[in-house]
Amino acid sequence: MKKIGLFYSFHTQKTAKVAEKIQKAFDEKGIEAINVEEVDEKTFLKYDNLILGVPTWFDGELPNYWDEFVPAIEEMDLKGKKVAIYGLGDQVNYPENFCDGIGILGKLMEQQGAELVGFVSADDYNFESSRSVRGDKFAGLALDQENQARKTNKRIEDWVADLKKSFS
Amino acid sequence: MKENLHELEVPKKYHIKKTDKETLAKWFYLMTVGRAIDEKAPNYLKQAIGWSYHAPYAGHDGIQLAIGQVFDKETDHLFPYYRDMLTNLSAGMTSEELILNGISKATDVTSGGRHMSNHFGKPEWNIHNVSSCTGNHTLHAVGVGRAMRYYKHKGVSISSQGESSVSEGYVYEAINGASNEQLPVIFVLQDNGYGISVPKRDQTANRKVANNFTGFKNLRIIHCNGKDVFDSMNAMAEAKAWSIENQMPVIVQANCVRIHSHSNSDRHELYRNDYELNYVSEYDPLGKFRRMLLRYNRFTEDELDELTNKALQEVKDVHKKALKAPDPDPESIFDFVLPEPYVSENYPDGTHNEDGDKKKLIEALNGTLKEEFRRNPDTFIWGQDMANKDKGGIFNVSKGMQQEFGIERVFNGPIAEDYITGTANGMSRFKEDIRIVVEGAEFADYFWPAMEQFVEMTHEYWRTNGKFSPNVTIRLASGGYIGGGLYHSQTIEGALSTFPGIRIVYPSFADDAAGLLRTSIRSKGPTLFLEPKALYNSPIAATPIPEEFEVPFGRARVRKEGSDLTVITYGNTTHMCLNAANKLEEEGYSVEVIDLRSLIPLDKETILESVKKTNKAIVVHEDKVFAGFGGEIAATITSEAFEYLDGPVQRVGSTFTPVGFNRILEKAILPNDDKVYDAMAKLLKY
Repeated sequence: MKKIGLFYSFHTQKTAKVAEKIQKAFDEKGIEAINVEEVDEKTFLKYDNLILGVPTWFDGELPNYWDEFVPAIEEMDLKGKKVAIYGLGDQVNYPENFCDGIGILGKLMEQQGAELVGFVSADDYNFESSRSVRGDKFAGLALDQENQARKTNKRIEDWVADLKKSFS
Repeated sequence: MKENLHELEVPKKYHIKKTDKETLAKWFYLMTVGRAIDEKAPNYLKQAIGWSYHAPYAGHDGIQLAIGQVFDKETDHLFPYYRDMLTNLSAGMTSEELILNGISKATDVTSGGRHMSNHFGKPEWNIHNVSSCTGNHTLHAVGVGRAMRYYKHKGVSISSQGESSVSEGYVYEAINGASNEQLPVIFVLQDNGYGISVPKRDQTANRKVANNFTGFKNLRIIHCNGKDVFDSMNAMAEAKAWSIENQMPVIVQANCVRIHSHSNSDRHELYRNDYELNYVSEYDPLGKFRRMLLRYNRFTEDELDELTNKALQEVKDVHKKALKAPDPDPESIFDFVLPEPYVSENYPDGTHNEDGDKKKLIEALNGTLKEEFRRNPDTFIWGQDMANKDKGGIFNVSKGMQQEFGIERVFNGPIAEDYITGTANGMSRFKEDIRIVVEGAEFADYFWPAMEQFVEMTHEYWRTNGKFSPNVTIRLASGGYIGGGLYHSQTIEGALSTFPGIRIVYPSFADDAAGLLRTSIRSKGPTLFLEPKALYNSPIAATPIPEEFEVPFGRARVRKEGSDLTVITYGNTTHMCLNAANKLEEEGYSVEVIDLRSLIPLDKETILESVKKTNKAIVVHEDKVFAGFGGEIAATITSEAFEYLDGPVQRVGSTFTPVGFNRILEKAILPNDDKVYDAMAKLLKY
């Protein structure tokens, strides 16, 4: 498997914690963590396997550090790249926009030619709507530390197992 | 199948990499000037200079810049709310004008220091001066939209408010009306998550209140990030273009953060924790815009610093100028309460000697409306039950009008009195020649839901320092004597005459009804036209009416001359007073009956002259004696003609109860010939 670039904000709490778990679940040598707050185009394009960590902010927005990187991504050619996205949301307090961030980034990745991998069944969640849902699945790994924290570890393990098969 | 309007893509016309540098510089400059004033505003209060109300906009920068940038003063109308400082700056108001408003100077273009600070506007540019009763300007925006559609004007009416005030019923009425009438109106909802301290979850079940309206037809909903300049610009540009092209309303809900407290009387640390206060600062839209300009190499640090320094210098300079501006003159308080009315040249005192056929009061109203509608093509009338085939108005006052003038000028309103009244205020802003008549409600009894718009109507001229006056006649079928009970008998002038800024007329006869209605329609400013509905078809109110008869405001009419007692009355009771006076005449008493016709302005001169002659006065009206308008007349006589009085000023009117339905109850409550006669006879013998 080619090296994986794991992009998330190092200043986050929950998203960073999940990133650590993902790193552990992979062979740690094969995955590199990059602080998305400081990322540039060259670093992003270095990897063919990418994992993006994105919490959903406000009523369904990307956090600033991702949003401000979007204009750069819009000019990238991501053909041949496999992208897996995980995100954190809150099904109880923000049920209308649960993990929208996964959907927003996912759509952008596909527009630029990347292949999204790591879809997860939306069963076992309880929310109203989400931009990350495709049919009966999320276009990535949806996590809810506020309301389903106990399920997080298992969800990460299953997801990483799936990614190991999907990544090239 | 029709497309889902809420899922239409918003084109990315504006983009950090594509928008030209000059435009980006302009935006950055405006945002920096705006933020400098926003941050400086509390200092004026600390130094006791002014700006005692300041609702900081920081955190709304993206959407406010965008509203102002898409607004075109040549074609559009803008209704900003009290947090819209950057909206106004971006729309073209100068930094000096903002500060003059903030510190309430006489040269403040919004209101000359009359309206509360931080309520910015420039009426001459159609940036309207709006109420603090937040969100009620949505109805005005819809009214303007109606005019734009009628006159085939290519423009848009933009209303802006916070997300919490959408809870107000009138906002739902406004959006429903714009959707039903298909009007070019943009409702911008600036969502910072709070109504003062109340989180939005306490307002409505949807976190995005705009989604409450997804079931409304002919309406597009666009969500945007109000903290992001480009997303906001794209949303507003698309909303405007789409609304004009499709002649339908758009809701733009912009997600913002409120970086500071609601206003300077609020302390947000009492209900927001450090984590929240920290992250809302991190999401500062100005900081984001600056980072984007640098990241994508559109500007260097030096270039942005240069723009920032220039902006700060501008604010310093205008601050100094504004401090030297004159304060309002206390002598000016009576200016612009009401605009000058239409002046009658043919009937300067509102009397005539016509002796032709008698016309009923309802014929007088119907005929005058039609004559005025023929005379002025910019006249409109609407209300509930206004027109449907052969029916025209709940009492047929507007019968035949829709057939003659068309459904665009004569039309039904929804069962929403506030909407009926508020959109009249709005529509009259579009063009000075417009004259609007509304049936404010089916019966005066149902006018109460429109009270907030009634109050608004009375404030406009004074609050704008004479720059805008709604040219509206509000007709209300009033009073009892029809066995109508509590909700079909009310006469509400006692309550409504407590508001300065509106004329109130109340005819008793057909000729005066015609003359006062003509004057109301031809005049600038609002007039409350109260119609004694029991007299619509009554032969006692029928009179000959000369052609184009006019009755000036504030001119009472002596309906019967006398020397022993003055009776001051109006509406239904005028006839009772005349009956009683005639009866007393047979008994050897001479009673003078004054029909006021106008309550505001009040013809004090005629009243006082009469009292000086007769030395006794009695005030008679249908409304309740307690706290009724008669109290004002009695007090005026007592204070200004006390030496002439030979007895106490007496009052006759309803009991201080609602009006009962059973005729026995109604008779016990309302004044009648006998009660009036008894009171007059008693005073004559005093």
